[in-house]
Amino acid sequence: MTQQLPEWLDPSPWLDGGGSSPADVERALGCDEPGPRELAALLSPAAHAYTEIMAQRARTLTQRHFGRTISMYAPLYLANYCTSGCAYCGFASDRVQPRRRLEPTEVEKELDSLKGMGFEDVLLLTGERTSHAGFEYLLECVSLAARRFHAVGVEAFPMTTREYAFLANAGCSGVTLYQETYDPFQYDRLHRWGPKKEYLDRLEAPARAMESGMRTVGLGVLLGLSDPVFDAVCLLRHAGHLRRIHWKSGITISFPRLQPQAGNFTAPVPIDEAQLARLVFAVRIVLPDVPLLLSTRERPEFRDGMAGLGITKMSAGSRTTVGGYAGTEPGTDGQFQVSDQRSVPDICEMLRGRGLQPVFKNWDSVFRDGEAGGRG
Amino acid sequence: MKRQGKLKDEWIVGGHRFSSRLLMGTGKFQDAETMVEAVLASGTQIVTVALRRVGRIPQEDDMLGPLRRLEGITLMPNTSGARNASEAIRAARLGRELSGSPFVKVEIHPNPHHLMPDPIETFEAARILAAEGFVVMPYMPADPVLAKRLEDVGCASLMPLGSAIGSGRGLATTEMLRLILRDARIPVIVDAGLRSPSEAAAALEMGCAAVLVNSAVAASGDPIAMAAAFAQAVEAGRNANLAGLMPRGGGTALATSPLTAFLSVEGQ
Ligand code: SF4
Repeated sequence: MTQQLPEWLDPSPWLDGGGSSPADVERALGCDEPGPRELAALLSPAAHAYTEIMAQRARTLTQRHFGRTISMYAPLYLANYCTSGCAYCGFASDRVQPRRRLEPTEVEKELDSLKGMGFEDVLLLTGERTSHAGFEYLLECVSLAARRFHAVGVEAFPMTTREYAFLANAGCSGVTLYQETYDPFQYDRLHRWGPKKEYLDRLEAPARAMESGMRTVGLGVLLGLSDPVFDAVCLLRHAGHLRRIHWKSGITISFPRLQPQAGNFTAPVPIDEAQLARLVFAVRIVLPDVPLLLSTRERPEFRDGMAGLGITKMSAGSRTTVGGYAGTEPGTDGQFQVSDQRSVPDICEMLRGRGLQPVFKNWDSVFRDGEAGGRG
Repeated sequence: MKRQGKLKDEWIVGGHRFSSRLLMGTGKFQDAETMVEAVLASGTQIVTVALRRVGRIPQEDDMLGPLRRLEGITLMPNTSGARNASEAIRAARLGRELSGSPFVKVEIHPNPHHLMPDPIETFEAARILAAEGFVVMPYMPADPVLAKRLEDVGCASLMPLGSAIGSGRGLATTEMLRLILRDARIPVIVDAGLRSPSEAAAALEMGCAAVLVNSAVAASGDPIAMAAAFAQAVEAGRNANLAGLMPRGGGTALATSPLTAFLSVEGQ
């Protein structure tokens, strides 16, 4: 089953023209209010020659809006049970690997070790909703995290507005939900079975999270799955749509790139580093005030170079295995390979060396009470 | 006419006297050391610090520790991050506890992207905090009516924006600022949007009591030198305001052949 894209998402008006010319790229760079047209031009092959100019622009805009700071966060994998069959994921239900979830006492241990590393912003991750790790479980984990951390985010299955409101009440301030790809045909092909096959349910979940009063919603596509220009223009339109309706919630954008993992899936549309960099620059140019994230999927040298050039938020010292921080249990395989294995102090030192300040606390739990749905 | 010497040029906010007319923000520097150096170079006496950046257990990115060690600096915790009045009030109370300062910059911006202040929630928070005895300095839209309303509920100053935070578009709100300045009984401090020292000077020339800058210094090529440049500009702007600018458009200059010469014919 595939569906028509909703009008507010459809990128086709900006993709029909085929390639962009250098003149289009220059126009995009000189534009006061760049939008989807400009984004498409900045991602066209003609823009390749402008990469350095784009990087400069991206850095200027980033400094203007975020100063010389990089926010730090840590992901925490709670469980790797999953009923879905995403072709690209190491946690898909047909992949043979040890399945596990952290029990509440183990979650506390993991949280404590992250806290000991200096983090104040944690992102809790699970796979698809299962009986092992469903909503109630997630809610409990959020409460445990909110007792220790100022900022708690969740990257999990799509939920109902009511469920998101419960999470917000428990202290969750952010929800991350990547569409993976906005291309409905490719989406249908890659999501072989399971609840995640529901394209529209996933597409509409960020709006539900915002409606519930969630402060920030993280969007993104899994780069490598589909045409990056199609996906990027959709992403921009999705962000714009959400901002117009749910104007009190913030948006962040991440740039996960497909890495080799269990199942030997190869990216159908591989994206190289130069393309990834240009994508980050282009998104910064069209969305100057949106925090942009880069995970430890990328190699250290690339992360170092991108810090402050558009990227304003980074994970550090990440483990993508369930129970990876406190080292409590025989590990599972990770969801993806961590390329940047450096310790938190090493990454901080690198950032400082580049004239950037690693910021661990950029939020205060005192702001929490008013969070859940219904507040003005 | 020569001015004989200069009286000490101070301004008063909430009963506290200050001579520097440059306020500094702290959240965007590359490290605490640069921030401290810039604060020192600016000669500022009021520094704002976001509660959301203050660690209760001091960490290396904690802003409060290094600022507390500076002498002659008044801390003004801000409620940046609050989306409504009740969040801002909670943040203000906690900020007072942590900093020991009665000053609070009420900052309520429900939209986390452009960070425009919410006039309705700002008014509500300012009203309650002023009644609690805070020295309330609200970050506000450049709206002359709101300005009077905030003054009426006991705010110590007004902090209208020059343009959107981080936009670097300078004094885009000049016309509204003029109306605010004309009627204000409390100090008006331009906050947000300034990019260059000349814009700060222009704000002081207009009659603003002070300006607050952060990005303009922190994101410049040399934050410490830029902080010093802002200090000079603010002083120049203030001196120009005291000296009195020449009138615009030659309004009082006399033409060699008077335009109204014909009027005298009748009376002869
Ligand atoms: S991407 Fe998520 S839903 Fe899909 S298989 Fe992996 S864990 Fe399950």
